[in-house]
Amino acid sequence: MNNADLAIVGAGPTGLSAALVAPRAGLKVWIFDDNALPGGQYFRQLPKQYRKTQKTVYDKEHGRAAELFTAIHHPNVTYLPNATVWENPDPGILAFAAGERSGRIEAKAILIACGASDRPVPFPGWTLPGVVTAGGLQNLVKGARVVPGERAVVAGNGPLLMVVAANLIRAGAEVAAVAEAAPAKARLWRNLPRLLHAPEIVKLAVNYRGLMAKAGAPYRCGETVIEARGGDELEEVVLAPIDTRGHIDRAKARTVACDTLVAGFGLNPSIEMYRLLGCEVTYNSYRGGWMPKRSEDLETSIPGIFAAGDGAGIGGVEFALIEGKLAGTVIARNLGALGERDAAIQAAPLRSRLERFRKFRVGLERVYAPPATWTELMTEDTVVCRCEDVSLGEVREREAQGFTSAFAIKGSTRMSMGRCQGRNCLPTLAALIAARDGVAVEQVDLPRGRPPARLVTIGDLLQEDLPAPVFPADPHLPRGEEVT
Amino acid sequence: MTKQPFDRRIATGLDRGEAFTFSFDGKPVEAYPGESVAAALIAHGRRKFRDTLKREMPRGLYCGMGVCWECIMVIDGRAAVRACMTQAEPGMKVETQHGLGPPATMTGAP
Ligand code: FES
Repeated sequence: MNNADLAIVGAGPTGLSAALVAPRAGLKVWIFDDNALPGGQYFRQLPKQYRKTQKTVYDKEHGRAAELFTAIHHPNVTYLPNATVWENPDPGILAFAAGERSGRIEAKAILIACGASDRPVPFPGWTLPGVVTAGGLQNLVKGARVVPGERAVVAGNGPLLMVVAANLIRAGAEVAAVAEAAPAKARLWRNLPRLLHAPEIVKLAVNYRGLMAKAGAPYRCGETVIEARGGDELEEVVLAPIDTRGHIDRAKARTVACDTLVAGFGLNPSIEMYRLLGCEVTYNSYRGGWMPKRSEDLETSIPGIFAAGDGAGIGGVEFALIEGKLAGTVIARNLGALGERDAAIQAAPLRSRLERFRKFRVGLERVYAPPATWTELMTEDTVVCRCEDVSLGEVREREAQGFTSAFAIKGSTRMSMGRCQGRNCLPTLAALIAARDGVAVEQVDLPRGRPPARLVTIGDLLQEDLPAPVFPADPHLPRGEEVT
Repeated sequence: MTKQPFDRRIATGLDRGEAFTFSFDGKPVEAYPGESVAAALIAHGRRKFRDTLKREMPRGLYCGMGVCWECIMVIDGRAAVRACMTQAEPGMKVETQHGLGPPATMTGAP
């Protein structure tokens, strides 16, 4: 068994920030990350083999990224790339799959810094090749400098749509339409004072809008994608007005030809680790849905297990960087590596920065508050579970037969039993049940999370160097006989 | 470094090194060291990676970060490998995955 003071799951902005702090205080830290290179989604790196021949707009975060990446080289840090934490066999113990290095670790503290992924919002045709998430587009551009098409539509909800549109334009693609479901423009002025708590981010947004205006990319608020059409690939999308309650005005629909649709409906914290560990979760639709309950010190309902960054409630990269440092500081203090006084001195500026960004966040959340529901986008034929190919019609059929709870729908349709482990369909399942029963999403009972938290191969598990199991005496065997 | 006629890679400010090829359904596709299979295919306009078992629907890259498993393909005889999380290698054999992929390869044996 491996040992560490702190096990960090995720080497994105949050995990790396924590790893800048805790090892310096003397803690022995392990970092697990499922990517080949550190950085997570925001600081996604180009392949190491590429050589930059000139500075481009993509290098603007280079300084911050370079500082973060130093974290993995600290002598107190063991960094495991391409590693998947998949099980929590006993309290304080994590099992991880990482090829030949697969194994288990016992840690005094655990920091979940798993980040977030795009909220899956099903609509007819959303499974067509050519429809990608906002995060997926960002990764193609950041991690490979590849654009998926020539003429794109960007649709969904939230500030990320502007970032995506700007990146497409810079890469030379035509952006035929940007459809923001929320009436963001109308809400902007009222919330400007709050937004100005983070003038640096407001300035970014102004730049993006400038770029969009110059390229002639129309930004419409109160509009949503309602359908993507095509044969083997995307050919056109249908856009229509949507109001704040989620009602769609199909009479006013328009069709836009395009080869790429970037669908970004906001982000959901990755909750599979909390489900696996048994941390209590709460629901906050403004910050991405389910997230762990946390104390002021970022500790979850289970002592010794901490959660920070977007994975603990969407806040964006600035939040993630600060919370990561705060988590590292608090954990170092709790484990006795940092004195009370020193910890308080280090934490104070972090907490006040966090407070400033929190005020900004409130403004942002008010401007981009999504429609009350997205369920009107779905038709009977819409695939709601991509892995198992389950349509809304199938779910409705089972409901009519009495399979009404999330658990019963899961068991009878296989929805959420596929490779993605429900990450791409549980939010949909919960939203459907909430809309059907007229209750809030948080009141829907989710099926239990079970290991593996993420898919791992048997091959990986066979690499684990485990002590031989001790079997209890088998009453079915003749006395004295042993299994070998 | 000759570019294939259809290439959606952003060239500015970047030297990707020496290109190599892998095969996609028997045809050569150009890739660069460190590039994912998904990025290389998309750079050349190949966007359908598989079709599904039940409804035989076309699918391709969706989340681009290893979460959704929509981009799975048969790679070097092994089924259900995520194209977005797999680095392209010279001579690699990449195939469109139909349903669960060829049954004989489910174990990962070549
Ligand atoms: S595109 Fe989602 S896992 Fe590859």
